Amino acid sequence: MLAVLKLRKTRNWIIQALFVGALAGIVIFGAVTASQTMQAQGMTSGFGFLFRSTGWPISFSLIPYGFGDPYWKALLIGALNTLFLAAISLTLSTLVGLLVAVLRTTRNGVMNALGTIYVDTFRNIPIILQVFFWYAVYTHLPRPREAYDVAGTAFLSARGLFLPGLNVTGLSAFIAIVSGIAAIVLALWIAHGRRFSRKKPAARRRLSWTVAGIGALAVMAVLVAGRIPDTQLLSLPELKGLNFKGGINVSPELAAMATAIAIYGGAYLAEIFRAGFLAVRRGQIEAAQSLGLSGWDVFAKVRLPLAIRAILPTLTNQYVWLLKATTLGIAVGFADFFMVVAVSITQSGQTMELIGILMAGFLTINYTLSSVLNRINRSIALKGQNIN
Amino acid sequence: MFKRIMAGALTLALWGAAALSGPAQAETGETLATIKDRGHLLCTGHNGSYLGFAEVDDQGNWHGFDIDLCRALATAIFGDDEGHLKIVPTGWAQRFPALQSGDIDIIVKATGWTFNRDTDLGVQFSRPYVLAPIRMLTRKELGAESIADLDGGTICVPAGTTIERYVAEYAAATGIQADFLAIEKTEETDAAYLSGRCDAYAQWDVVLATVRLKADNPDDHVILPDVMNAEPVAMGMRQGDDNFVDIANWVANALWLAEVNGVTSENVDEMKANPPSPAVAKLLGATPGIGAQLGLEDDWAYNVIKKFGNFAEVWRRNVGEDSPYKLDRSINATYKDGGVFYPLVLD
Repeated sequence: MLAVLKLRKTRNWIIQALFVGALAGIVIFGAVTASQTMQAQGMTSGFGFLFRSTGWPISFSLIPYGFGDPYWKALLIGALNTLFLAAISLTLSTLVGLLVAVLRTTRNGVMNALGTIYVDTFRNIPIILQVFFWYAVYTHLPRPREAYDVAGTAFLSARGLFLPGLNVTGLSAFIAIVSGIAAIVLALWIAHGRRFSRKKPAARRRLSWTVAGIGALAVMAVLVAGRIPDTQLLSLPELKGLNFKGGINVSPELAAMATAIAIYGGAYLAEIFRAGFLAVRRGQIEAAQSLGLSGWDVFAKVRLPLAIRAILPTLTNQYVWLLKATTLGIAVGFADFFMVVAVSITQSGQTMELIGILMAGFLTINYTLSSVLNRINRSIALKGQNIN
Repeated sequence: MFKRIMAGALTLALWGAAALSGPAQAETGETLATIKDRGHLLCTGHNGSYLGFAEVDDQGNWHGFDIDLCRALATAIFGDDEGHLKIVPTGWAQRFPALQSGDIDIIVKATGWTFNRDTDLGVQFSRPYVLAPIRMLTRKELGAESIADLDGGTICVPAGTTIERYVAEYAAATGIQADFLAIEKTEETDAAYLSGRCDAYAQWDVVLATVRLKADNPDDHVILPDVMNAEPVAMGMRQGDDNFVDIANWVANALWLAEVNGVTSENVDEMKANPPSPAVAKLLGATPGIGAQLGLEDDWAYNVIKKFGNFAEVWRRNVGEDSPYKLDRSINATYKDGGVFYPLVLD
């Protein structure tokens, strides 16, 4: 027996088993205690409430929702809203970050100063204050009846931005967006992926364009098929009574959140991109220039690809962080996942279960995001050599 | 392996929970005994200020309608509330967990009596002490004369409250199409309405009156006459302690009984010396018989009325004509003045 304990392998295994056992014990003890006290106090626990109707409104929803819908649907809407906001604000903050990073790495003094001022300002103001600031800006615009109007098709007011849209059902719009993205990704993969490297370049280009064309046709077909009956396909916003009807409405809550995350996140991402650009050795760039490549070609074909390889791990962290920042939506009434959970807790009293759902939801979203980015990181890593 | 461990842990947890003791709710008389041992009553406050009901002044003193009820309860139990009451600041979402964990003895915090709270959350409610009409505040310039004229507009509602439900139900029943904007913090909701983000603001008319006072020009805003619902506001206690629920009910009842019999904080001593009716004699402890059944002294109601007056006086002081809010009692009056409240008989 003692001889067995002397083996380091066995010893380590036993220590680890004890550790896992202790952790599991703590979790079980907590769960048992909680359920016992709740029972003792005559409180209902369990997930049965998910199938009860909510009876309260949600301010923003991508799928149809009525007061009679169950809690699970409300929570799903919250999760979709979080993903929607994240998709918009992560894209915007990436664009802002790239732009500012380019400004900060140029040799032009004025642009450099601009970029530096931007980063130093927005990185050091807490994001919650920026959310409040933008919300105040967007809600103090004129009322719908005095809205700013752009050529009679788009309007800007305290109720948000109204743009021309299509009279299609939410579901078909969603399918159209997903199939559009899928076609673009597939076309890029055929054009640049390693898997197709044996094909001739001309054949690859043809195949890639075919896929893109089929994607575009599919998107149009889905949109035409999903048209709401007895309406025109194109829907223009027009003032009816107290508000605009028709078109797409970007609410002040969504706009404030997206703007704040884009600007705040952009400042952080700019620094990450700048570090990536600086990590590309001068020699590489000089080599590209000596081949006679134009400035844009040097940037797009040499600097950016090499920089991306250097920064992806840091970028992944920052994206996950920004995704978590969407929970600030509750401060201005944007119905994101966190806010729907918070309201459900007050309305149903099922605190333990809902906090569990909240944690599981964010764990899933963030874990998916980081594992996709890590997968990309592994696939673009230069095999067997460092980035220079 | 990991899956197996998790499944095992879950099974163990469920099995353990099932094997352990069943419901053991609060016993009758338990709360009163605890309060007497402790020497003070723990009552809800507010996390900010809920104007007219639970406010903090610049000296850090709590006052308001709900706070007065807490004081009256402490007075009924100890004969005086000075040093026998502790106000625990509590947020909306913490009300029920705080009650169940024993951080507070009673919820007196503008809380509506609902099915879910009564059944799922293990709360026992007292008789409602206020009926809060849910109405809408809107700008005069919109020209709306009733809620139906707000069709197509945007309505601000406080998130996570019963008001959310009342407005949703009203809109569904009357076929009004409106956008709802739910915001969690009272200050943020007020700001959203005042900045013009919403056309209307749904709340208790009590609260709407205070929001109107915040506006740059209060005369630009109007509270629409339609009442969407009247929220029955009641005190909440732990389920199972009938004695404590009785105390809460009869303390509120003493205030109404005093009002309909014309007993006030000024004439209470006179009334006690020569009671005009047997009911008043009993109420003020001139004849014994209202203390022992509740575990209190016979003069508990006398002490409460001496200090806080009758229901009308509590109303006037906190939300009525002697307060900045100047609220009409309308349906909150007793049946004698066309309201819905009535005292129970002291027999």
